[in-house]
Amino acid sequence: MSESIVRYSSRSRARAIKSFLSNLLGHAGAQLGLLCLVFFLVLSAVPNILVGPLETVATATGDFLVPPSSQHLLGTDEVGRDVLNLVVHGARISLTIALLATVISLVVGTTVGITAGYYGGRVDVWLMRLTDFFFVMPSFVLALVITPVVLEVMGRGREILGFRPSLFVILVVIGITSWAFVARIVRSQTLSLKERTFIDRARVVGSSNLSIMVRHILPNLVPQIAANGALVVAGAIYVETSLSFLGLGDPLQPSWGTLLSLAQRAGAASTGAWWYLGAPGLCALAVSLSFVLVGNALDDTFNPRQRVIP
Amino acid sequence: MAGNAQEGRTSRIGNVLIRAAITLSMVATLNFVLFRVIPGDPAALLLGGARMSVSAERIEAQRQNWGLDRPLFPDQILDYLSATLHGDLGYSFKFRGRLVSDLIWERLPATIALVGLAQLIAMLCGVMLGLYAGWRRGGAVDRIAMGASLALYSTPSFWLAMVLVVIFSTALGWFPGYGIYSPGASIGSTDKILDYLRHLALPVAAVALGLIGQYVVVARAAMSDVVTEDYMVTARAKGLTNGQMLMRHAFRNAMLPLVTLITLNLGYVVAGAITVEAVFAWPGIGGLTVEALNARDYPVLQGIFLLLGVSIVAANLLADLAYGILDPRIRQ
Amino acid sequence: MTNLSQDKASLLEVDGLSVEYRLKGVSLRAIDRVSFALQAGEAVGLVGESGSGKTTTAMAIAGLLSPNARVSGGQVRYRGNLLPIDNDAAMRPHRWTETSVVFQGAMNALNPVHRIIKQIAEPCILKLGMSRAEATARARELLELVGIPTDRGTAYPHELSGGMRQRVMIAMALACRPSIIIGDEPTTALDVITQAQILKLLGKLRSQLNLALILITHDLSVVAESCDRVMIMYAGRIVEDGTVAEIFAKPKHPYTRLLIESIPNPASGIRIIRPIPGDPPNLMNRPSGCAFHPRCPSATGVCTTEVPSLEKFGWGRVACHLHRSSQEGRVAVHA
Repeated sequence: MSESIVRYSSRSRARAIKSFLSNLLGHAGAQLGLLCLVFFLVLSAVPNILVGPLETVATATGDFLVPPSSQHLLGTDEVGRDVLNLVVHGARISLTIALLATVISLVVGTTVGITAGYYGGRVDVWLMRLTDFFFVMPSFVLALVITPVVLEVMGRGREILGFRPSLFVILVVIGITSWAFVARIVRSQTLSLKERTFIDRARVVGSSNLSIMVRHILPNLVPQIAANGALVVAGAIYVETSLSFLGLGDPLQPSWGTLLSLAQRAGAASTGAWWYLGAPGLCALAVSLSFVLVGNALDDTFNPRQRVIP
Repeated sequence: MAGNAQEGRTSRIGNVLIRAAITLSMVATLNFVLFRVIPGDPAALLLGGARMSVSAERIEAQRQNWGLDRPLFPDQILDYLSATLHGDLGYSFKFRGRLVSDLIWERLPATIALVGLAQLIAMLCGVMLGLYAGWRRGGAVDRIAMGASLALYSTPSFWLAMVLVVIFSTALGWFPGYGIYSPGASIGSTDKILDYLRHLALPVAAVALGLIGQYVVVARAAMSDVVTEDYMVTARAKGLTNGQMLMRHAFRNAMLPLVTLITLNLGYVVAGAITVEAVFAWPGIGGLTVEALNARDYPVLQGIFLLLGVSIVAANLLADLAYGILDPRIRQ
Repeated sequence: MTNLSQDKASLLEVDGLSVEYRLKGVSLRAIDRVSFALQAGEAVGLVGESGSGKTTTAMAIAGLLSPNARVSGGQVRYRGNLLPIDNDAAMRPHRWTETSVVFQGAMNALNPVHRIIKQIAEPCILKLGMSRAEATARARELLELVGIPTDRGTAYPHELSGGMRQRVMIAMALACRPSIIIGDEPTTALDVITQAQILKLLGKLRSQLNLALILITHDLSVVAESCDRVMIMYAGRIVEDGTVAEIFAKPKHPYTRLLIESIPNPASGIRIIRPIPGDPPNLMNRPSGCAFHPRCPSATGVCTTEVPSLEKFGWGRVACHLHRSSQEGRVAVHA
């Protein structure tokens, strides 16, 4: 599989991509996951068109904790806001945080993994010790202590890149605490790629280390990075939702986790307001499951393990 | 030969210990650094919490008393490390004057009960179900178990907890939805245990269900790998029945990777338990974490982080040792 | 069908055996109407490239086909009785007590977490109903028989060399005193010296215990050392069958000839290994007529259209249009 990516001829690459896509779409799980992801991406792309601007306490349109009705398809929350409105806007927050955190995580993980694998020796030993630390310490636990401290240092207030500071901190912290297993996988792939002849060839013609890593090794890692990236997104959603649930999110930009936190504080579970806690939870579940399914399908497609004939 | 084996074993355990030491020292360093970067004077914070004013003389006196006037490195960090090693985790902001170690110690049993029971149930159900699904890959059990597990795996456990409360507490009234004991009249000891177990049911179910999802997935993967191994073909050629093949050859080999995976998972179990405790107002470490977060009670938060770090590292050590016993290839 | 020995009853008779694999809805014929007989104590080599069907043939005989394989035709008789080779449970009593398999021990054929003595003793307990002590004693005997010091019995597979592991595999295969041993590339992963030792051991045990041996290999030189008879397989069919002496002296099928020429022979002075030109056949897209014709140096027109049937020729059998002088005009029936 990776051989076909090594060869740069655009026609063979196009053919490889085509056969890859048809294989991937052959997975029922991947179809379901992709469909679901497209749905949520549309939601998060144009929430204002679909449900109007985010409702606040001041612009709330309904009564308190009203069950679903034709007016409020998913009912209302404890201050009369429309839950559908909140959930659709929450999609944007949750997905953006998870995707950006994943980008950070993949960049860090890939850089550490390639560097450790390519240079080997002492660099490898120390980078892997660092990786070990992040591997055994769950992202959630690290984020739990780092986030409040960083927030305290920065102070709440101004937005960064359109994010309220707490969300920005959360996404950065998730990103820098969840790269360890990507680094491990990338490292082991790099180790085996390093031994291949085309790397020697690049070295002989005088390519620099950086250019070998970026031009020759990185393209071959794309399959692994993609498959694991999907799993990292699922993990990021989990961590973000949990952190927000514990009150580290931002009520002015409520993600699904923040909505669940608000629902918990409003006693939604004990008063039986199932719609209030049901919708954000199901959304988090659906998106996270979709990424897992797509990730598994990618992994299956890239690494066909089952031998059909002995 | 024997000498070499002995040496190999020693160096392996040595490596394991070095890794554990490095992880622990990074946890301690992170704790130390995070605590120092918080704006505001620690002495002022400790004396008055973040929001009260205390006279400058008292703060200065306290600074000297606590050695805060000395350089951060190496004096303060060494003090910190030595205090930590002696079990001194400082004082809580929120619960004024209470030792962090006492607070954690009080809350620990409730979490151990919750996590321990959930872990036990999840291992029994999840691992067995997963191994069976992997053994009969593609069968009906496999499909159903795998579908359900992936869904459970993707579900935040606290949301599962909330759903359980809505269904089994609010709607059906079968189990209490929060707390550890029913409030009110003093009752007999057997009733008290029953009451406790009834309160434990939903939190344990919430944590365990999430774990079952994970364990089914990993156990199935481990078993699917074993099923395609050559020694399974040998076992079949020997004329063993399916049951004999499963119990004598597949089971132990499939358990090998699971030992590591399940122990590595401890951090995630506790992480899940923290949010579930928040849902049920369960008076454990998770409840304490939420209280500390809301009050920005950093000493308590650091103490909890240290506790989690130590337990995770200890679990990893155990896993490494257990693996060495289970797998003769490592034992050598 | 053709049978080398109609006069006396054979130990094993394979008659018109065909096996198909299902692969993403496509059915793929791995072996096609394979027929041969095996006498008690006889050693037969089954030689071919990977994908030639030699392993499938052997696994079918042992009733060890994978779940996606299906016996689509033919039958296997053992001592005159029909073997239920496509019924896993029904084959169980036959396995190891009558037919056992020596897998590539150097690979992962031994369970890594059990001591070797336990693995050798296991079938004695489970199949022969021995007590643990009896089985252990039997396992010690077997270890001695294959030349492993009995105190090494407590070792784990990873603690043994490849040659030792192969000996353990052999000891294990002998545990229930079978009549047939199938050697599935038993020496492939070993160095030349160990390979020779293992082959010698197999030969010694065979005559000592009157074992029939089916040796699967891609290496004709292995067969030359240890077999009485060779069957050459190509694209799922037996293309030539004969005694070792005859086949090496006068190969009839062009494929056999090329195989023999590809063996490096230091004595002949020819140092260059001549690989067979062309690619191994693709079972998904089997060539018309004789499957070998695209690579055959002597192919003629008829080879591209007609499948040659396996006919008696001299002392053996051959499936080639070049050797059909006696049956000129007879057209092979093609399913």
